[in-house]
Amino acid sequence: MRSNTYTLIFTSLITLILGFLLSFTYTQLKSMQEENLAVDIRKNILRALDIREEKNEEWSNEKVQDLFNKYIKAEVVSKNGLILNNINIENIDAEYDSINFPIYYKLNDNQIDGYAIPVIGRGLWSTLYGYLALEPDASTVKGIQFYSHKETPGLGAEIEKDWFTNNFIGKKIVNPNGELVSIEVLRGKVDELSNEAYHQVDGISGATMTTKGVTQFLLEDLQKYEPFFKKIRTEVKEITWLY
Amino acid sequence: MAILSKKSRSALYDPLVKTNPISLSVLGICSALAVTIRVDQALIMTGAVIFVLSTSNTIISVIRKYIPSRTRIIIQLAIIAGLVSLIDQVLMAYMYNMSKQLSVFVSLIVTNCIVMGRADAYAMQNPAGNSFLDGLGNGFGYGAILIAVAFFRELFGSGTIYGISIIPEFVYNLGYENLGLMVLSPGAFIVLGLIVWFQKEIWKEKVK
Repeated sequence: MRSNTYTLIFTSLITLILGFLLSFTYTQLKSMQEENLAVDIRKNILRALDIREEKNEEWSNEKVQDLFNKYIKAEVVSKNGLILNNINIENIDAEYDSINFPIYYKLNDNQIDGYAIPVIGRGLWSTLYGYLALEPDASTVKGIQFYSHKETPGLGAEIEKDWFTNNFIGKKIVNPNGELVSIEVLRGKVDELSNEAYHQVDGISGATMTTKGVTQFLLEDLQKYEPFFKKIRTEVKEITWLY
Repeated sequence: MAILSKKSRSALYDPLVKTNPISLSVLGICSALAVTIRVDQALIMTGAVIFVLSTSNTIISVIRKYIPSRTRIIIQLAIIAGLVSLIDQVLMAYMYNMSKQLSVFVSLIVTNCIVMGRADAYAMQNPAGNSFLDGLGNGFGYGAILIAVAFFRELFGSGTIYGISIIPEFVYNLGYENLGLMVLSPGAFIVLGLIVWFQKEIWKEKVK
């Protein structure tokens, strides 16, 4: 048995070395990690707006940056649906700001080809972060992507997979009367013959709580932008109803 | 494999079947339940555990003679957790996509009883070389069971293997349905139980 002093000194020493090593690594790598995170968010905005990598292709950070600068225009809208030019989008924390909301336009030859808004809310274990993109008619879903969550792999974490997100494409967030109904993630499969199928998507078996969260915060986030999208909808008359 | 002595060989090969950490020592069950829904995730987890297990075993073995016995568990845990956090940081900076895929798996490694179990039971008594081999062996033994469980769960739970559909569409049209139970944790318990039973009873008798 070693003496108390030895035990104390050795244990403190190991802790100190490990602590130093970790904080050193962290400070050295911090800027790279932050850049990766920022690029990942931009990549997700692009993907939600249907600008995505081919299979087996991986974009470098520069490529994502280039595409983002080329196609995406960022704006800030107020809760009354007005575009604010005097506020820098960098200063807005989409998770907590309840007055000003960021929005991303996809521009194709100066024509608006879609809108992306951040969607954030609770799943089962964690906060989910993602982007929901709408077509220029502000009623049809163009895409949805999640980039950060800590849900169970294979269950809740399936929300980021294409088989789940592809179900959203083409769904409507408004009913035929023009009222916001958002998207509902069901338990199980959508009954294609149902009158509600136009705004419902298939659920994930074993992840009811996660998908319930998604249904709830999609509605909450879409409500924030509703004054803005409503104005667009009155300008765009030709909403195609497939259902 | 004449390069390895008998002891090194048994350190490497025994944990694959004979002293398998999951099916015989019943260690690391928590992660075996959590990450065996799909084969691809089981593979990622296996790779990560093999790396952490062999590295932590080696480091602990090198300093084993200086570790005071009263705080040895704390020191082992600190080294394992430090190592895992370090890998996490490096992955986040250099291989961001990989780190996103690993996500919760990384923190699951710290709580994996196999890593601590091998550190305390083997690395504290044996030289670095053998400890490294023991780490590799246990990692692969863990992975073998993990992938086997994931194989059955993905096949019966989702009808796919490694994300590729195996069960043809017409079988579904005939009324076949994926077994929802397999996707949930109880499914893993059942498959794992069957594997343990198979190895302990049926296979052992055959070997005899």
